[in-house]
Amino acid sequence: MSETKGEFEPKIVVYACNWCTYAATDLAGTSRMSYPPNVRIIRVMCSGRIDPQFVLQAFADGADGVIVAGCHPPADCHYIEGNYKAYRRFELFRKLLETMGIEQERFRLEWISAAEASRWVQVVNEMVTQVKKLGPLKPNLEVRE
Amino acid sequence: MTEEPRIGVYVCHCGFNIAGTVDVKKVAEFAKTLPNVVVAKDYVFMCSEPGQDLIKADIKAHNLNRVVVSACSPSLHEITFRTAVSEAGLNKYLLEMANIREHCSWVHHDKEKATEKAKEIVRMAVAKARHLEPLQELEVKAETSALVLGGGVAGMRAALELANYGFNVYLVEKAPTIGGKAALIGYVDPKTKGAEIVSKMFDRVKDCPRIQVLTNAELIQLSGFAGNYIAKVRLNPRYVNEKCTLCGECEEVCPIEVSNEYNFGLNKRKAIFLPFSNAYPPYYAIDYRVCVKCGECEKVCRFGAISLKEEPKVVDLKVGSIIIATGYDPYRPFKGEYGYGLHQNIMTLFQLERLLDPDSPTKGELIVGNKIPKSIAFIQCVGSRNTTPGAKEYCSRMCCTTAINSAVKIKEKYPDMNVYILYKDIMTYGSDETLYEEAGKKLVQFIKFEEKIPKVSITPEGLFIDVFEYTIQENLRIPVDAIVLSIGMLPPRDIEELIAVTRVSCGGEGFVREAHLKLAPVEAPTKGIFLAGCITGPKNILESIRMGSAAAAKAMSLLSKGKLTIEPMIAQVNEEKCSGCAICVGVCPYSAISIKKVNGDRIAYVEKALCMGCGTCNAACPSGAMQHLGFKDIQLLAQTRAVFGGEMNV
Repeated sequence: MSETKGEFEPKIVVYACNWCTYAATDLAGTSRMSYPPNVRIIRVMCSGRIDPQFVLQAFADGADGVIVAGCHPPADCHYIEGNYKAYRRFELFRKLLETMGIEQERFRLEWISAAEASRWVQVVNEMVTQVKKLGPLKPNLEVRE
Repeated sequence: MTEEPRIGVYVCHCGFNIAGTVDVKKVAEFAKTLPNVVVAKDYVFMCSEPGQDLIKADIKAHNLNRVVVSACSPSLHEITFRTAVSEAGLNKYLLEMANIREHCSWVHHDKEKATEKAKEIVRMAVAKARHLEPLQELEVKAETSALVLGGGVAGMRAALELANYGFNVYLVEKAPTIGGKAALIGYVDPKTKGAEIVSKMFDRVKDCPRIQVLTNAELIQLSGFAGNYIAKVRLNPRYVNEKCTLCGECEEVCPIEVSNEYNFGLNKRKAIFLPFSNAYPPYYAIDYRVCVKCGECEKVCRFGAISLKEEPKVVDLKVGSIIIATGYDPYRPFKGEYGYGLHQNIMTLFQLERLLDPDSPTKGELIVGNKIPKSIAFIQCVGSRNTTPGAKEYCSRMCCTTAINSAVKIKEKYPDMNVYILYKDIMTYGSDETLYEEAGKKLVQFIKFEEKIPKVSITPEGLFIDVFEYTIQENLRIPVDAIVLSIGMLPPRDIEELIAVTRVSCGGEGFVREAHLKLAPVEAPTKGIFLAGCITGPKNILESIRMGSAAAAKAMSLLSKGKLTIEPMIAQVNEEKCSGCAICVGVCPYSAISIKKVNGDRIAYVEKALCMGCGTCNAACPSGAMQHLGFKDIQLLAQTRAVFGGEMNV
């Protein structure tokens, strides 16, 4: 989290697959769309690569929200079914968050295609608003390095 | 990595595209404070030649072993800068891009906030760069021949294209003749019969020494990978060789009679038979599945063309690429669906097409129940666009055009016959629309129905169709002499075997799925396998032929080099850490991982040429033994921690 001029500015880490969501974030740029600067995007080749431990690390280090995003099911995934693997892992993971004192609303799993720049902008706006409402994350978990 | 990282950071202005919103000087100054950064500079256009030269000179002057370019998206210029660093003697995978244009300067307006964000993006890239490793592309020798599975129009077209460009092709067909369904049914356009196109293609295939046609042949096993497939093909016995003169004496003595699939069950054929008059290869075949080997045909044959001693053979074909073009099956109406199977005058569109063919049992005359009917009705969308069990929700694309074309032909031949077409919507798209108009001019009567489907009644007075005509909103009872069910297309019956052998995958409709409809058309998700024709879904003959050409073009780009480059950003196993639990084996979408025994221990093994680099095995591996090169755990965790100023130790 970071505090600028008194107002809470959440920091949101995004794990985006190379083929769909990362392309959408690029398209939002080339289309000169506008969204709040609270997101930090980490590129992976496939949403199936995203390990829940990354998300935990982000929360442990101070992320106020995390978005995991990939290609639309059923058939957009560049690697056949990586999006389904992400779906399985993170729907389960979401349930575990609450037990660690992290509100489920701080985590989003999204499908954003390469053409859906406006969807990306909408997701960022919604997430920033939502996390601002929740306030800074004060996790009661310790991740050993 | 034993060598201490020495990182150069290069912040691009991109004219005003970045510098207009982000204080690039501040970003470069900030970069200098990051661990292992030796030099940081800003420049107006990093991608320009002077910009690239700046990086190259620094690599040498400062002995850099990592480069971070803070500019646009990697999708735009990663290759540019990879090339630049490799020209300066650095491994090209030691480059990391920080996307401060698409992800920052173009989407934010507050200069202060954008600059802060850009700094963090650079910090994340530097953090990842500290953990980058040099990677090597691998080159493997690749076969230059191809296997085409399926001898229909799509497969033949693909084989011809490949052969024309000098590649050797094995054309493998399950049936005793090539030609597929187009040989039996359908018009490419209102004037050209599919069968004519097919026989012209036969002529070319015949004259082409580079195409080896294997009929009665099945792919039973596929091993290897793109460039180096080994296809095990079983050649089932034909029992008849090229000495056959098509005299037909054998057929007369054969005691076995079965339904003739080449006439869609309109008549019977013997166990020894010629599929159709211009079949290729042009000689008889014995159906090995039904022959009782009585030997009568062998005795009667005066040319020594028959040998019942023939055994099935299995051959290994080494090919670089595979094109799957095994087509479709017609929809099979259930008994009683619109009266099908309950009355001899109720037939499918495929059967009607055979009746109208000069090569048919009726020599092209429309004779049903021993006479020419006075009226005939087509019912459209049987098995397509509806939700009855066994039916499909998609449109089969070819049935409207085929039915209307047949209706026009019937009207030309029998002008007094009443021809009705009962339809939901007419899908004569593109130039076929003129055919629809033509049918109207020839007084073919079109009757539209909606959700309430027509009902067929079989009465002692004859056949009746009850239908609610949607446009005039009235119930009609139409007496007809014959009914044609315009059946659609289904995935081929043996698609499960195909999937098991080739590891392609199916879409929701049961057909084989392309890797991506728009971004990777014609490609199967597995490298080196391409798809053509109706195996990916309903298509008309023209579309199938075009897809055959497209698949051949894609296969050529793979075959032409004679070698294959394997991307290095793939999975790698740390054999020390691997416990052989095989979780990775199950999640790999490409079957690239197997378990091998190394000194008695079970260890995961990655077949490099099969791995496509998605990294899902890495995410699933419980011990961290499996790592996705270029996206290793430590690299992504370092990037994550750097968002908040944290570090991962080198």
